[in-house]
Amino acid sequence: MDLTKEQKIRLYTNLVRVRKLDETMVKALLTGKISTFFHSGEGQEAVGVGACSFLREDDYLFPSHRGHAISKTLIKGLPARIILAEHYGRITGCCDGVSGFHTCDMKLGIPGMSGTLGGHFPLAVGMGLAAQLRGKKQVVMVIEGEGTYARGTFHESMIMAATWKLPNLFIVENNQIMGNTPVKIIHPKDDFADLGFGYGVPAKVVDGQDVFAVHKEVQTAIDRARADEGPSLIECKTYRIQPHAVGLPDTLLGRPRTQEEIEVWRKRDPIKLAQKRLLKEGVLTQVDIEKIDGGAANEMEEADRLAWADPMPTDPKEILKKALYAE
Amino acid sequence: MREVRFIQAINEALLEEMKRDETVFIFGECVRGGTFPHTNGLFEKFGKDRVLDTSISENAIAGAAVGAALAGYRPIAELMFSDFFLIAGDEICNKAAKWRFTHGMKLKMPIVYMASTGGYIRSDSEHSQSVESLIMHTPGLRIAIPTTPYDAKGLLKTAIRDDDPVVYLYHKLLLTKKGEIPDEEYTIPFGLADVKKEGKDVTVVAVGFMVDLSLGVANKLQERGISVEVIDPRTLEPFDIDTIVTSVKKTKRVVIVDEDTLRCGVTGEIGMQIMEKAFDYLDAPIQRVAAANCPIPAGWYLEEHVLPQPPDIAAAILKVLGKDMDISDMKKEKVGFDAVKAFGDLGITKVKQN
Amino acid sequence: MREIKFVQAIIEALEEEMTRDETVFIIGLNVQADPILTPVRLVEKFGTKRLREVPIAEPGILGCGVGAALAGYRPIVHSRFVDFFMPAADELFHKAAKWRYIHGGKVTIPVTFLAGIGGYLGGGGPEHSQCLEGYIMHTPGLKLAIPTTPYDLKGLLKTAIRDNNPTVVLYHRILVGAGTSGLVPEEEYTIPFGQADIKREGKDVTVVATGLMVFMTLQVADQLQEKGLDVEVLDPRTLEPLDIETILSSVKKTHRLVIVDEDTLRCSVGAEIGMQFMEKGFDYLDAPIKRVGAANSPIPGGFMECYALPQPQDIADAITEVLGIKESFQVKPLELLKPGRHMGERLGYGKKEN
Repeated sequence: MDLTKEQKIRLYTNLVRVRKLDETMVKALLTGKISTFFHSGEGQEAVGVGACSFLREDDYLFPSHRGHAISKTLIKGLPARIILAEHYGRITGCCDGVSGFHTCDMKLGIPGMSGTLGGHFPLAVGMGLAAQLRGKKQVVMVIEGEGTYARGTFHESMIMAATWKLPNLFIVENNQIMGNTPVKIIHPKDDFADLGFGYGVPAKVVDGQDVFAVHKEVQTAIDRARADEGPSLIECKTYRIQPHAVGLPDTLLGRPRTQEEIEVWRKRDPIKLAQKRLLKEGVLTQVDIEKIDGGAANEMEEADRLAWADPMPTDPKEILKKALYAE
Repeated sequence: MREVRFIQAINEALLEEMKRDETVFIFGECVRGGTFPHTNGLFEKFGKDRVLDTSISENAIAGAAVGAALAGYRPIAELMFSDFFLIAGDEICNKAAKWRFTHGMKLKMPIVYMASTGGYIRSDSEHSQSVESLIMHTPGLRIAIPTTPYDAKGLLKTAIRDDDPVVYLYHKLLLTKKGEIPDEEYTIPFGLADVKKEGKDVTVVAVGFMVDLSLGVANKLQERGISVEVIDPRTLEPFDIDTIVTSVKKTKRVVIVDEDTLRCGVTGEIGMQIMEKAFDYLDAPIQRVAAANCPIPAGWYLEEHVLPQPPDIAAAILKVLGKDMDISDMKKEKVGFDAVKAFGDLGITKVKQN
Repeated sequence: MREIKFVQAIIEALEEEMTRDETVFIIGLNVQADPILTPVRLVEKFGTKRLREVPIAEPGILGCGVGAALAGYRPIVHSRFVDFFMPAADELFHKAAKWRYIHGGKVTIPVTFLAGIGGYLGGGGPEHSQCLEGYIMHTPGLKLAIPTTPYDLKGLLKTAIRDNNPTVVLYHRILVGAGTSGLVPEEEYTIPFGQADIKREGKDVTVVATGLMVFMTLQVADQLQEKGLDVEVLDPRTLEPLDIETILSSVKKTHRLVIVDEDTLRCSVGAEIGMQFMEKGFDYLDAPIKRVGAANSPIPGGFMECYALPQPQDIADAITEVLGIKESFQVKPLELLKPGRHMGERLGYGKKEN
């Protein structure tokens, strides 16, 4: 099914919103407002935006830590203010400031984030199982960095999801770098999508910089899942522009990363690509683009101001006491 | 003697041992240069066969170490965060720890599992844990937790030469600590506690980073006429109970401090061993100070309520002494971890400011 | 009241709770096919979707329990061998235990982990004979019950399934295999967590025992009664929450304490209970607390097993020691440990009782 003009504009707008929030958070980290760290997802926005823009609210989503999941959670409906408040340790944060940066909102189908990477896969299978039992055609999406696809947890989970035809979507956000290691030296093949073959799971490789391409492939997989045809694996090729975490040394295998490679990928920036296409198709004009840009900037500025002004908890010990056990 | 940083001491031990013994090799996530740059320079010196970067596959890393050890090598598996030991719970606590025992003790299992440990960095509950209790509880594993550059180098060299699986934990906040080490080669045998400060009124047994916190408290209490003896066991398995018992016979009072969760942890074990061996010398019940019974929260304001703090240690000391004193000058540990600042001036790594 | 077998109590609790609440389902290896634990009528009654068979993929299985619980179900994850929880240590000790906490209490995880523990199988070996209560009790966020009678098991398992937190219920494999039985009421009942049970009253010494050790201690106590020693036996039933008050009031009377647990002694349940007691009841004690537990080694397979696991004689000797009796009273081996032809029999397979 072709996208309507409104849907195309929504995808583009979401890209810009995520970028603005990312920039806000980088700034917050560098000015000492975020006390932990921030793993910027600059340049990788199209993966989350393309995959999540048209999910149902009751679909489940396990996002990776990259960009602290904003390209997924913001799009799924979590307000920027709540995300920022959690980073600022405010009581209004999505985990009352306990997590520092995780996002969690069961009403929006965001069950939380794993501290250890690759921990999502088995959990997603469990949720897929629940979704299948419930029979409401929910899908369960995992978007993880390519590094975690080596975990035994992934392979164990694929076996189950494929055998049981669970409504799972495994999306590889392949930014080509795992921490400080280029993934090509630790993975035997070029395409992670090949991993689907052994399990009989349909798999595709898409250009992760092209939000429309990502959306098209993911939507096909979602349709399959909702039709009880089982899981899919989609690999989105993208690239990490920033260091592993903002403020950390930007090295590969102990050496500074070459700027040339980064520049090559900057030319394929997902926002620029989408802009070019929509201008050509006549969906957007230069004026529209500036308007969207300004709107997103205002949204994030406002969110940042409100989140920072939100109160710190008055009784942290009480929160800790309550957080441990349910009544 | 010369002054080095903790992280350099680790780096030197790795370099020396890999040079001495060709069967020693190191592998793990980002060992060619990563989060904790103590492995930097190894790749340039020893090449890709002995310094191997891996994917995020803790099960496979820990398990491959077992296989390599069985095949006659001395692998060093760098797991980056000790929290990740649990991901490879089966490989470390079952395979590495038990393989030799199960197979009639004919085999050797010379592995070093090394990783950073501890909190006070406002990370999250799965990157801030201390795992010494789980490891100490598991038969078959040795465990060393150095607190000075001198101990770090000497214990790591012993660990690499040991024929059993050794868990070697370095605290994130100690990596930049400076200290003196000898110019010549040395090792430190396992199972020898170190009296870090002598005293006569109360014995504080502290593990890992808690040694530093306890010494800080002890120095402040010294000014107030309380003489605290601080003992660092350095290795928890083998565990040197004798040095502690000797101290307790002198002071009659004990406080045990550890960063891991209190319940069913290291402090309970040490306390019971003291009780079994020196019950009649005790003038007051042993006091334990350790992390609260909950995961380690991240965030700005919560961690300090869970991890042991200098005021907690001071209060426990005063309690076993039956004294009341103003300790409002004992400050909570609110550090946070700035990698750029911490490693920027080490000279081991070239850091590009972003 | 009526007398039922231990395994019958498990089946009744599962059946009643699955009937009561449609969101309860069971997932695990062999849950459709276990000849002891799963009568055919259960599969017929609830179908294969609510008795979910799985491949050998522990992280997948345990993680599945957490995921389904997050999504509003009440899964029961079952394994005949608690040892298999170690390959899924990350899912159990991180995901299940901490998920609610690190997300500020915004979600609930009503999952029950039901597993068989323990050795004395005479062939289990190190990775099929373990008790993991030391690890589990140490981990914040998990509740832990170890029932020892059909009455306790049924009542505690039902409470666990209804609890909104991740709960671990451990049953000893010997208690299933040996076909022990006991009285349970006809009508519905549950047992709240955190209430110790006095299994035998006495005035000379308090023995706190868990799991199979309760049986062993009761038999030892009966034999020591003939020598004029009056032993009180306490079963905490749940280790988290732990009912320290009942232990305190018992020792207030007896002034002597022995703690018996089957898990590895070091850094485990015995030390924790001992230290908690010491902190609260030091002045009641007339002698140092004694611990009895498994030796600091993996559990050997075959006949060597008895040298690692606690034996009745160890318990008897600990009791006489805290009472200051020099003489050692000989006691019989545990009667439950009737020799089976093979491990399958000792596990209860191959019999036609169910």
